[in-house]
Amino acid sequence: MRNYQDMVYSTAVRLIGNETQAEDIAQEVFIKAHAHFDNLGTSPTAGGWLKTVATNLSINHIQRYKKRWSFFSDLVHRDDEGGEREVEFAAPDTFFSGVDTAERREWVERALQQLPEHQRVPLILYHFEDLPYDEIAKKLRISLSKVKTDILRGREALAKILVRSGSTHEAFEN
Amino acid sequence: MNKMTPEELEKFIHQQLRGLPSRRAPRTLESRVLAAIEQRALIPWYHQSWSHWPAAVRSLFLVLATTVTSAVIGGFYVGFTGASTSSIVVAAGQKLGLLAKAYHVALWIVDLCTQMVGRIPSLWLYGGLTAIALCYATFFGLGAAAYRTLYRNN
Repeated sequence: MRNYQDMVYSTAVRLIGNETQAEDIAQEVFIKAHAHFDNLGTSPTAGGWLKTVATNLSINHIQRYKKRWSFFSDLVHRDDEGGEREVEFAAPDTFFSGVDTAERREWVERALQQLPEHQRVPLILYHFEDLPYDEIAKKLRISLSKVKTDILRGREALAKILVRSGSTHEAFEN
Repeated sequence: MNKMTPEELEKFIHQQLRGLPSRRAPRTLESRVLAAIEQRALIPWYHQSWSHWPAAVRSLFLVLATTVTSAVIGGFYVGFTGASTSSIVVAAGQKLGLLAKAYHVALWIVDLCTQMVGRIPSLWLYGGLTAIALCYATFFGLGAAAYRTLYRNN
């Protein structure tokens, strides 16, 4: 369990965006793993199994609450529709200049948590779990075009939050 | 400021996200999991779901359930072929008399309501219904606005 607990917890907390609920999900994952210990104990795919279960349980958890708020949430983000566009911010090579790795990771982690759920979840499934767009659409029960739009807008929003973090950092340093 | 194409942005975000290390799980997680597993182990099998029952008990249960179901179906068949249908219907009617009374009371209430609604002037009736619908829409809209401004932004 010790080998996988950080990975399981990270998967849940990044998807759900709430530490307490992520801990509950992680607990449920390991209880399920215990029930399947005969098959998983020596399996080389145990890590993948745990990650998949953590992802699915987290998505189920999110959707359980989302159903309750779907009407209200659907009222928002009508401006998300639209084609691709270029994003204005510092070039990648100069973006994090003068910031050490630990601090940069902290920024990215915090920026990720600031994203709205409908952008954060598909973004994580795409970039962390390597799921293709159609698989994400199926998992989240939304259209393929919405997945693509949400991921694109999520990247842009993440970049903007990072730019803001950078300017705040500079102001603080000066 | 430089401009990034969507492809450059995807590459950049991918690098940043994949560069993140795993987040450290709370120290309490392991003890919580072990405690939950121990607690579940203490629950007797007959309080758990079917899949947790011992195989022998599951087999025995299947045999018993099949026997009981067969006996019930057989009993009904013998009862219907042996006894007269009218006596069974009378017996059932006595048992279900309360339901029949309840049905008649419900019919009377529906009839009364229909008569009362029929006496209300149509202007008052439709005006009242419109006012209720407007109140409902207003409070629903207020709820949605409150959610958007107070809950989502926090």
